[in-house]
Amino acid sequence: MLDAAFSALGNLFALSNLVFLLLGVGSGLVIGMIPGLGGTGAVAMLLPFVFSLEPTQALALIIGAVAVVHTSDTIASVLLGIPGSASASVLMLDGHQMAKKGQGARALSIAFLSSMAGGLLGALGLTLSIPVARPLVLSFGAPELFMLTLLGVSLTAVLSRGNMLKGLLAGAFGLLLGGIGAAPAAADYRFTFGSLFLSEGLDLVAVALGIFGIAEIVTLVGTRSSVATGSGLGSGWRTGLRDVVEHWRHVLRGALVGMWAGVLPGLGATAGTWMAYGQARATTRKESKKTFGKGDPRGIIAPESANNSVEAGDLIPTLLFGIPGGAPAALLLGALLAFNIEPGPRIITHDLDIVYTIIWSFALASILGAAACFVLSRPLAKLSFVRFPVLAGGLIVVLFTAGFQDSEQIALLQVMLLLGAIGWVMKACGIPRAPFLIGFVLSLPMERYYFLTANLYKFDQWIVRPWVLILLAVLVVPTVFSLVKKFRSRRDPEASDIADEEEGEGPEPPRIWSIVVPSVFLVVFVAAFVISRGYSSQARLVPGLVTVVGAAMALCALVVGIRARRRAEPQETSTREAWAVEWRAVLRSFAWLAGFVALTYVLGVLLAALVFLPLFLRRVAEMRWLGIAVYTVCTVGALAALATFADIALPIGYLTPVGLL
Amino acid sequence: MSRKPISRIPVAVAVIAAGLGMAACGNPQGVGDDGKSDAGAKIPSRVDMVIPYDEGGGTDTWARFLAPYLKDHVESGPTFLPENKPGGESITGSNEFVRSGGTDGKEVLVTSGTTYYQALLKRPEVEFDFSKMRPLIMNGSGGVIYTSPKTGIKNADDLAKSKKKLTYGGISATGLDLTMLQAMDVLKKPVDATFGFEGRETALLAYQRGEVNIDYQTTSAYKTQVEPLVEKDKAVPLMSFGVLKDGKVVRDPNVPDLPTVEEFYRKMYGKEPSGRAYDSYKSFLVPGCTYQKGLWANEDTPDSIVKAYWASVDKLKKDKKFAKKSGEVLGGYPLYSGENAEKQIQKAFEIDPDARKYALDMLKREYGESLGGT
Repeated sequence: MLDAAFSALGNLFALSNLVFLLLGVGSGLVIGMIPGLGGTGAVAMLLPFVFSLEPTQALALIIGAVAVVHTSDTIASVLLGIPGSASASVLMLDGHQMAKKGQGARALSIAFLSSMAGGLLGALGLTLSIPVARPLVLSFGAPELFMLTLLGVSLTAVLSRGNMLKGLLAGAFGLLLGGIGAAPAAADYRFTFGSLFLSEGLDLVAVALGIFGIAEIVTLVGTRSSVATGSGLGSGWRTGLRDVVEHWRHVLRGALVGMWAGVLPGLGATAGTWMAYGQARATTRKESKKTFGKGDPRGIIAPESANNSVEAGDLIPTLLFGIPGGAPAALLLGALLAFNIEPGPRIITHDLDIVYTIIWSFALASILGAAACFVLSRPLAKLSFVRFPVLAGGLIVVLFTAGFQDSEQIALLQVMLLLGAIGWVMKACGIPRAPFLIGFVLSLPMERYYFLTANLYKFDQWIVRPWVLILLAVLVVPTVFSLVKKFRSRRDPEASDIADEEEGEGPEPPRIWSIVVPSVFLVVFVAAFVISRGYSSQARLVPGLVTVVGAAMALCALVVGIRARRRAEPQETSTREAWAVEWRAVLRSFAWLAGFVALTYVLGVLLAALVFLPLFLRRVAEMRWLGIAVYTVCTVGALAALATFADIALPIGYLTPVGLL
Repeated sequence: MSRKPISRIPVAVAVIAAGLGMAACGNPQGVGDDGKSDAGAKIPSRVDMVIPYDEGGGTDTWARFLAPYLKDHVESGPTFLPENKPGGESITGSNEFVRSGGTDGKEVLVTSGTTYYQALLKRPEVEFDFSKMRPLIMNGSGGVIYTSPKTGIKNADDLAKSKKKLTYGGISATGLDLTMLQAMDVLKKPVDATFGFEGRETALLAYQRGEVNIDYQTTSAYKTQVEPLVEKDKAVPLMSFGVLKDGKVVRDPNVPDLPTVEEFYRKMYGKEPSGRAYDSYKSFLVPGCTYQKGLWANEDTPDSIVKAYWASVDKLKKDKKFAKKSGEVLGGYPLYSGENAEKQIQKAFEIDPDARKYALDMLKREYGESLGGT
């Protein structure tokens, strides 16, 4: 085993392989930086080369990209509040808050250092666990995976501390949207309304970009300010380094959670990072917990460390069982297959050198990628001080193109716009969006593993399996604890837990909103419940439960809203005026976005950008014509280059000239 | 920016909403030139390979692996540009291909068994018809059925005597699992199936955990993943789907020691398999296994284009580098093409309505699956 490890190391440092690793790291970093492209983008970019290279070179190229794509996707999440990828959306909680205070460089350096550590720990874990990984993975059956997904869904409660009602409402809504498409355990297609496009389900990237990204763009364009309001870059990477060293335990714990989420097939990277964040938040003691969600370094360290170790852990099911956890891992499998290497138990006995080449490449790429980003973190952080409308023009084009990548259905643009509107309403009303995303991500896995468990085991069989009991304890004990605490605090009012009320961001919406919004949710849940009654028994159970819970939450929120409205005095004129300004600005932003989508339908995205960008940059960003010309040419040129050389798909419109198809 | 934003916004919103509403009525991606061409047309210098599956999957790998070799061997040496259009169990991409692919050779379609089954079962969304389209190059596949030693089943006699239903994990009854379900139906041993697995690999994982006790894998996955289990007495191979030779099912040369489903039936019941169940099984087996992976052109594509692909296959078979490297990707199965093959292939897709009806009835009866359409 050691021989193989060292020969792989020598292999790796052979110049030609190193060059390809660097190329992989470079392209991974660039693709990761573009919001929403992440994994799928890297795959699209590298695919054409993979089948024409030597095996070790192709592996170096892919691994280089896979290892760093989740390092640089942090940048957009932290600095702009737009998810760089679905799994990086978790950084919008603490990372973005920190950047808003003007500490973008600190947030980035924390993220990159944890990323590097996560990647290295992941590679180390991989090396150690290769011999024992097989039995370990096999000891986790359907019941254990079901319990894990349950644990993940229960995080919605942790993440909505302070306003449980709204958090659970959002979580139920996420679970409902996640259930769109083919049911996992029956032949039904749910909530597709006859559309083949919806039968695949909503794409995670498009949903994350819509709910978080577009919602952020409309408000920021409206206010016309920059992201950061603090004073200068101030505390930079030194503080970041100190933060990471001080919270080294969180680095370790995040990496472990990430490894697990990667090793177990079926959970996915997004669930892994959110679970890492949830465990960090749930296990911190009461006093220091209050800073979570407001720019706490631990809220960056844990998920960012997990982010990279997920990818390392994911290599185990990929190599040993042939089960890829995501698009890049699938590409890796395809490349191995093209070189006559099939994954399976024999890969350890026959191709151990390949396995170690992969692990070493991964470790090296993590270091290189994080180092490159670390050096860049200070100049990059200045982005958060640029007037946002200037950035928004390009971002709008990029977001819609990125959301389009996975399904390549143009109808998705409208769905993204709609999700953006929903995201904005949630934001304005203080309905947390984190539980929504967790619900969405875990909806299908939870349902799938529930039915597999129920069909393959009897209840008294699976409930007593050791891992199930452990996970059950993790799930139940903290709940009991907090109930006991609540009971005690009621007798002793001074020790009461002050809820960190999550208020809506921006100006307060008119009171009628707290009645209208829950009513709309109520109608949606009731309608979904009625529709779901038409499905076969195995397809309607989960949507049924979810809609009942959702409707109950919406009803409670409605009652709370009505009572609050009755009790409250009329809003002050200043509040009402602030809202009117905000409302108008947001409507205007939405009109611009809708205009872009309409243009894309007619002209295709390239020509639409050519028309849209000058108009937008002139009217909204008020840039000079020269700047506008350079900006537009660069953006359109970059899109065209990506489409030509990297296989990125561009939406085509009715009137797109044939030459541009 | 404007003095009266309030009055303008509703107008702008209304106009855009109307525009989007109109846009939603159609799908601009279906637009393209009709690509009709005359006989004698040549293959263009760039050919799009439409792959209705995800990047990195089995079918995608097959197509991308083949592309550079085709460039070398197809006359005029076109460059092949793979283009993935996944979704809707491969219906989305295939529909788009027949709608806009044209007959001028600018696009070819890559298919797999899942694509065929949607057409053979007549899913209402399907717009393609493989009994009319022109097959360019086909590549077969095979599978091995094996069971857990804990069931005590080692051979045909044991299976014939077994009373307890075997448990099986599948993806969905209307995908590639169908062949397996039909084989067990022919043997009169319907399995207790659980659907909802993400892939055949995850089903194998469940098998190794002891959650299911009968499974099938493609021969190449069998050889790398299951044979090590057989060596450790953790799996007992029962039979293979075999390969088609001169219209007859014979033993799969990749696993020559394993009996075919037909042989297995003979050992269980002492007679040849026949009847509706077997007819239905075979009419799905041939397209789903023998011609599993394929490269297709649209109906009415001229011979001058189609024959250039056929000619390339002979050259491919002589290419030493191809022979050396293609082992895992082709799974040890031959490439089919040519005029005779075309007739056989197209005929295989003219499915007998009774065979389809039997398959649908069987799915409904045993697995409670019902499908839209007829």
